[in-house]
Amino acid sequence: MNFAEMHQPEFAQAPATERHSHGRWEPYVDNGGTSLAIAGSDYVVVASDARQSNGYIINSRYSPKAFQLTNNVILATSGYAADAKRLVEVLEQNSQMYFHKHEKPMSTTATAQMLSNTLYGRRFFPYYVFPILAGLDTEGRGAVFAYDPVGNMERVVYRAFGSAAALVQPFLDSAVGFKNQRNADATRLLDREQALKIAIDAFTGAAERDIHTGDWLDIYIVDGNGVQHQKRELKHD
Amino acid sequence: MKLRAELAIKCATHESQTESRNHSIMQYNGSAIVAMVGKNCVAIAADKRLGQQALTVDMDFEKVFRMTDRTFIGLSGLAADVKTVHDTLRMRVNLYKHREERVIEPKTMAHLVSHMLYERRFGPYYIEPIIAGLDKDNKPYICATDLIGCLSLPEDFVVTGTASDNLFGMCESLWEPELEPEDLFETISQALLNAVDRDAMSGWGAVVHIITPDGVITRDIKGRMD
Amino acid sequence: MDALFAIAGKDFVISVSDTASARSIVRMKKNCDKTYKLSSHTLLAVCGEPGDTANFAEYIQGNVRLYSVRNSQDLSPSETANFIRNELAGSMRSRKPYNVNMLVAGVDQNTGAASLYRIDYLAAMAKVPFAAHGYCAYFVYSVMDHEYTEGLTLEQGFDIVKNCLTALKERFIVDFPDFSIKVISTNGTREYDLAEI
Repeated sequence: MNFAEMHQPEFAQAPATERHSHGRWEPYVDNGGTSLAIAGSDYVVVASDARQSNGYIINSRYSPKAFQLTNNVILATSGYAADAKRLVEVLEQNSQMYFHKHEKPMSTTATAQMLSNTLYGRRFFPYYVFPILAGLDTEGRGAVFAYDPVGNMERVVYRAFGSAAALVQPFLDSAVGFKNQRNADATRLLDREQALKIAIDAFTGAAERDIHTGDWLDIYIVDGNGVQHQKRELKHD
Repeated sequence: MKLRAELAIKCATHESQTESRNHSIMQYNGSAIVAMVGKNCVAIAADKRLGQQALTVDMDFEKVFRMTDRTFIGLSGLAADVKTVHDTLRMRVNLYKHREERVIEPKTMAHLVSHMLYERRFGPYYIEPIIAGLDKDNKPYICATDLIGCLSLPEDFVVTGTASDNLFGMCESLWEPELEPEDLFETISQALLNAVDRDAMSGWGAVVHIITPDGVITRDIKGRMD
Repeated sequence: MDALFAIAGKDFVISVSDTASARSIVRMKKNCDKTYKLSSHTLLAVCGEPGDTANFAEYIQGNVRLYSVRNSQDLSPSETANFIRNELAGSMRSRKPYNVNMLVAGVDQNTGAASLYRIDYLAAMAKVPFAAHGYCAYFVYSVMDHEYTEGLTLEQGFDIVKNCLTALKERFIVDFPDFSIKVISTNGTREYDLAEI
């Protein structure tokens, strides 16, 4: 497969399972995939795999689910890819409107609150998305906000969501949160290289065991200088 | 992996009704068991909780059993069957000892367990065992089976129980080859503790056995009691 | 809707069970004893499906006594508990399983050590310091968790029982007419009045 093809989402026929055979319309699909974010003292690392699947079918091997919303805010998603795409469009539009209205970019915390409001606005027909919003706060510290699909919001130091969350989150508890380590300082924040290495290790492990996670890893590092993006290879099987 | 339950969306599944009922039987009491291979040693660890769904009934429930001097079996799943299978297996292992006049090897025991479980193919014991031990040449042996006795024989680690996803994630990132007994102890303990802390159905303390050619080291480890 | 719980000390076990026999919304009997004496130092307390409980308990009682007569020796509490569990596990895979939850309380006459076994209707057994069954478990477990100390005295045990009963009276919608409180110790089994403890 050449590189150009890889950027084209390949849409495969959904498997004819019982899910659809009763003729009842299902508004949601779980497209799998995993996202995580780790906050540091002056940076934040966001990582998402790029596989998009539907059951045992892989729709796309490179369909990014982490998006750069503004100059220094990244939104990493998982869940239903179509809803995630729409959510990002709405957020981009609103932050653009904010920029033109107030002649300044929206702060990370303001974007975080806006995301919560946007999600709750669809309380009775939610976006089936588990967003993680990452950026720098007004003091320049790394900020990670995690949400449920209806807008419940929490600022955290690290978080993993998605099909391999059960695999990744305990690892982050250990490696980033220093949980179950008696002599460790639980408030210590990692430096950037450590955080990056942990994010990559987490995804290497997740791609090994979770069939919905793999192919490519999108990594965004946000710091005072702006956003840096890199793309790494994960297992393709 | 599992569909996330945060959103109350009714996702129709391909599972037949029996399958989904079995699923809840396997989750009824809660457990987390892991075994790892090290350098001339193996480790097996388990949590201590016995629950009835969300209600914790016992915080000192045994799930890992010493079947011979250097072979252990960990039984996850329905607590009633954990006891039944352990009792039956103990009888079979003792009978083997008397008939053959030698101690059963881990590999042989794995196949014995596999046969015991497959005998009940259409009315299974609701347990997923893992076996860990050293054979007569001090070679580490680990294996896992599903509830009808299908053996899986990886060379690094095996996990089972309600926290199996969490354990997979931990082991996949913490385990490395050729660990010495003390390092293996640290690795398996960290893997188990952090895994059960993200699983509501298991935890409440843990026990670790390190099997070396010189003997077995057993340690109870403290963990979060919530 | 039965209330059934027990607390074990070093050389005694306190067993508490309600004495109501209910059918649907009607209380048929107010002084029903849900405990069965298996030997001089072993007590079996049951709750669950009304017919099953009595039938299964009497079957166990008969067989444990038969063992004593045949062997001129009582089964120890752990042997008794394992026998009961085995019978129930066999029944679980039969055409019509018994629906019985049990607590086996006893004192080993050789060692003098008290023990308490909790067996649920699925035949899951655990040796525990304290135990409860049914809806009452959701109320009394928290009290026992909070107040239990290892090697407590009989008086301390009674205090916990009183607090458990207070919790049930305060928060559980079912009103129990009376409770049967029995203590198994090295001296055998003795019943206590609610006012006595």
